[in-house]
This record gives sequence, structure tokens and C-alpha cells, in this order.
Amino acid sequence: MTEPLLEAEDLTVQYETDGGMVTAVSDASFVINEGEFFGLAGESGCGKSTTAKSIIGGLDPNGQISSGTIRYRGKEIQDYTEKQFNEELRWKEIAWIPQSAMNSLDPLQTVSEQAVEIGTVHTEMSETELREQLKEMFSIVGLQESRINDYPHQFSGGMQQRAVIALALFLEPSLIIADEPTTALDVIMQDQIFKHLDEIKEKLNTSLLLITHDISVIFESCETVAIMHASQLAEYGSVDAVYANPRHPYAFMFKEAFPDVREPDRDLEVIEGYPPQLGDEIGFCSFVDRCPWATEECREAAPELEPVDDDDPRHVAGCFRKDEAYEMYQSNRLSSQSGDSTTAITSEDD
Amino acid sequence: MASMKRYFVARTIQTVFVLFLVLTGLFLLFRLMPGDFTAQMAVSGASPEALDEIRDQWGLNDPLYVQYYTYLINFFQLDMGESAIYRVDVWELTKMRIFNTFILVAPAITLTYVAGAVIGTFVGRRRGSNVEKLGIVPIIAAGSFPAFFIAIVLIIIFAGWLGLFPTSGMLSPGVSSEYEAWWRPYLTGNFAHHYVLPFAAVVFRYLYIPSMIMRTSVIEVMDQGHTKYHRLTGLPASNRFKHTAKHASLPLITLYPVSMARALGGLVLIETVFNWPGIGFLLVESVLGRDYPVVQFVFFIVAAFVIISNFVVDLVYGTIDPRVRVED
Repeated sequence: MTEPLLEAEDLTVQYETDGGMVTAVSDASFVINEGEFFGLAGESGCGKSTTAKSIIGGLDPNGQISSGTIRYRGKEIQDYTEKQFNEELRWKEIAWIPQSAMNSLDPLQTVSEQAVEIGTVHTEMSETELREQLKEMFSIVGLQESRINDYPHQFSGGMQQRAVIALALFLEPSLIIADEPTTALDVIMQDQIFKHLDEIKEKLNTSLLLITHDISVIFESCETVAIMHASQLAEYGSVDAVYANPRHPYAFMFKEAFPDVREPDRDLEVIEGYPPQLGDEIGFCSFVDRCPWATEECREAAPELEPVDDDDPRHVAGCFRKDEAYEMYQSNRLSSQSGDSTTAITSEDD
Repeated sequence: MASMKRYFVARTIQTVFVLFLVLTGLFLLFRLMPGDFTAQMAVSGASPEALDEIRDQWGLNDPLYVQYYTYLINFFQLDMGESAIYRVDVWELTKMRIFNTFILVAPAITLTYVAGAVIGTFVGRRRGSNVEKLGIVPIIAAGSFPAFFIAIVLIIIFAGWLGLFPTSGMLSPGVSSEYEAWWRPYLTGNFAHHYVLPFAAVVFRYLYIPSMIMRTSVIEVMDQGHTKYHRLTGLPASNRFKHTAKHASLPLITLYPVSMARALGGLVLIETVFNWPGIGFLLVESVLGRDYPVVQFVFFIVAAFVIISNFVVDLVYGTIDPRVRVED
């Protein structure tokens, strides 16, 4: 096997707040391979954006990587300074697609001015070459090449989002981090953006770390999925494995909380409660208060990520009861569903 | 380009119209005040017949619309009238005083904006630190004192105790008669010596405005998405600083002419304390004496300055901020 592009091992990120240290990411480990589309899902505030920011050195000043390592092509980057990030990683190796293009593009610069500035800092290319390069990226994301000289306010919201994607592709990075790239857009625009991302996958051999709260998007466009709950990685593995055989209660309940066209009549799952407030140390499973199958064991220690299936070492789940919970859930669900259908038949008889 | 031209023409017409409104407003406003200059002459013992003759001669017995018409016609012929108190041409009376005020205010306010931008940036970038929390306090304190108080304190310390600068005036007696050209005395060391304290008083008094605005603006800009995005794109600190400064200084550009105009009109106290021969003192005297021609002209000059500088800012602003630029 070739060396992975990005490896995070026991990554813990904490923020210093007035109320003490708050853990945003706790002991997260995952691997992103070359050319892989990796989806990171979870609800708001679970630490997915923080995970992504720690990779590109974009944490806010009160945030820090307290322990663990991040390796990019084998090199440890968790202690990199701003200067090292700027010189070695940012934009040439790792680029970023922000959530809201509208606020991220500099309103006082044309898109091409912004691109030329980035390009001049990171490459030896001339201004003309950089403009040509940007035009090429514009055509990949379906924008007219002539519009590279427009100011951000001259674009519509969807076009701005495509412009930031073009900027992310601009220096042909090995890894693109997309932080909820379509959250601000309507479904039609979302669909188009994902078409472009799929195209990029075919044309350029780029890896993508896609952060979203919409797990269906990940099942549709990624190869690997990681599901996060309140700072902990709940489950992680290939999309096929996690879809067919989810083990962490949060993972399967989360999955069932989204509608599926193949099962139009299915009741959507509701996960009760809220994620817990997290302090300095997390010595328990962060899902424990919301989990119907939790036992004492779950409060006493944080679960390790362990393989679910001996044949697929990459599919791991962090749950003490990963072998029983899903079966209990399934049988429970089947019985309640059959109950539903009985009532449906009876009412028809009436 | 066509629409740029149209915008320019429209904006010019608008500016001229506003100036006209100001002219009208000034005319009406001062006639709303009770009494006119002849009332003061009566107090000094002039006979009613003589006063009536003067009122006739000055057109004060005409109906208001005739006075207004004469006022406008004279104004457009650049005839500003004659001061009732000094009996000299208004332009001759005011031109040097306007210049004296301007030469004090313009450099001082410009300095407060440049220094305020630097201080505000320095303080704002250290958000949450003691520099940010305490650094601005002395500047606000200085700005909270009345202008005359600052002026008096400066005089006591630097003119009284230390004896470094003269206590008042603009030139020592006799200096201006040594030179033929009217501008020559302003280039003498004697002028500079007199200039320091009033200049410092204006700077201390008005420094807090641009400093506070720039501080808030820098803090705001540093929190904006594009600042964070610039960081993630790997731009070095110097490039990012340039972007932040450019964004943060936008409100300063809008407020610069406003501050300038405020200081021009509000310098009465500082001018009085330092005995600076500017428009401040003249204005007070003329308002109290109902010296319409002088008051109208000086107010008009100050208003025109605000209106025209806003016009210029509007035109220039578009080159910095494309969002307000007129599209071709």
C-alpha cells in the first residue's frame, strides 16, 4: 500500500474559553488516501469543522491541538507555525472551500486579482500564466472564462460558490477541504456543485475532505465516511460498509434520520436530546445520554475505535456495544414496522 | 463610461442644488432671528430717522422676497456685500480669517486621521489584550475634555511653566509688515512657533474620533470571512495586513470631510483661547451683531466645504470600494 496522504492519530483539539478548556475534537484518528473523497458528517458543533481547520492551521487563536499527530505525506504538521503552513502546505498542497463564498471572497478584489495574489505568493508563475490557469478552472466549474475579472458582488450566490471552488482548484492541490460547500445554496445549485466536484474527481486526482451535516450527500459522492458525535469519531469506514452495516448507535440512527427514496413510507428516526457540554477531559462516550442502549460501562471510559468486521480493517466503530446494539435496533424496528402495517391493513378493512 | 459621465453630471446638479438650498436656508434662518443690525445702532443712540434711512438704503424695509432676490443676484455676481460692523467688503474681511482657520484645521485633522488610523490598527489588532483595553483610554480622556480646557492646560504647561511657546496670537507684532507677499509670513519660524500649541490642542481634541472608529473597524474586519479566507490561502502576514487596513479604513474615508467641517465650524473656543485670528471669533461677533452678510458668507463657506468634500469622497470612494462604483 502506498503512503496515505493525510493521517490523523488520536487528534485532540481544545479551545480556551472564559469557562475553562473545551474539547472540540477528542482522540480522533482517520486516514485520507490519495485521490479519495472522504466525508465527515455530524451535527452542528460536533467538531467537524475544527478537525478540518486543524489540518490547514486555521484554528482560531484560542484553539490548539493539545495532543495527537497529523501527518501529511508522512510529515508531522500538528506543530507547524503560520510560516511553515504558508510555505509548505497552504493552497499548493491543501486548499479550502469555505462554507459561505459570499463572505469569503474579498469584496475589494476581483476574483482574478485574488487568484494572482495567491499564485504570486505560492508559485513562480507569471501573471499571464496565472490568469490562464484561473480561466481553465473557471471552465471546469462551469463559469464563463471572461468573468474572472469580475468582482464578487457581480456574481450570484451559486456563481460565487463555484468561484471559490475554482480558486481551491487553482494551484492543483492534492487535498481540498470543503467545509459545508453547499449549505448556503438551494438544492438545484447543490446538485450542480456536486456534479462539478464529481467531474473534478475524474479530471484531477485530488482528494477531498467533505464536511457536511447531510449524510446523504456523502453516501452519494464519497468513498469513505466518518461520523462524528460531540468531539468523538463514532464510526468510520468505506461508504458501502457503513451504509450496509452501521454499528455505532449514532451512525445508524443518523443514517435513518434521512429520507430514502427507496423507502418512501419509512418513519424517519429521531435522535432525542442534545450533545453534551464538553469540558477538559472526556472519559466517557459522548453519546451516552442520548443512546437507548447505553450501560454503565459507557460512562466510565471513552470507547476506542475497533474494527467491526475482521475482513475490513478500515471499518471501525467506537462503541462498547457495537455488536448487540444494531441487532436490537433492527429487531425492534422490524416489530414496530410490522405493527404499523397491521394497523394499515385493518383500517383498509374498515 | 457613458453612465459614469451621467452619474457625474447628476451628482454635480445635485450638489449645486444643495448649495442653493443652503443659501436659501441661511437667508431665512437669520431673518427669523429677532432684530437686525439697526437695532444695535439704536442702542448706540442713532436717531429713528437716520435708522430708517439706513434701513431703506440697505433694503431692510423691502418685502422679504425682494431682499431674497437681491441677495441671490448679488451672490451670483460674487458680491458678498459689506460688513455692517466693520464697513468693509465681506470677502476682504473674511478671506484671511478663513485661510487662518483652514491652515490650522486642515493639517491638524489630517494628522488625527493618519495617526488615528495607525493607533486604531495597532490597538485593534491586539484585541482582548491590555493594550487594547487601556491603550485607547488616554485618547478618549483627551477627547472628553472641552476644547478650551485642553488649550488652557497646554498654555499653562508649555507656555507658562516651560516657556517654550508664546501664549497666544499667530505672529509677533510687526512680523507681517516685514513682508510684501501675503503668504510670506506663514513661512516664518515665528509663525511655526505660534502654530505648535493651537495645532496640538486641535489634534488632542479630535484624535479620539478616528482612533475609536479605526479600532472598531479593524476588530470587525479581522473577524470577517474574507480575512480568515486570506489566512487559509496562505498569504503572508504583510499581504493580509494590507487587506485588513484597506477594509478597515473605509469608514475613515467617509468621515474625514465630516470631521474636517465639524472642526472648521467648532474651533471657536480654541481660537478664542489662543487669540488665533480665524473665523471662529468673527462668527460669534457677527451673529450677536446681526451682521447678516458676514454670517451668511462664513456659514456658506463651511457648508459648501462639507457638501463639496462629500461630492469628492463619493467620486473617489468608488476607486477603492467597487461595490459603490457606478457600472459602465
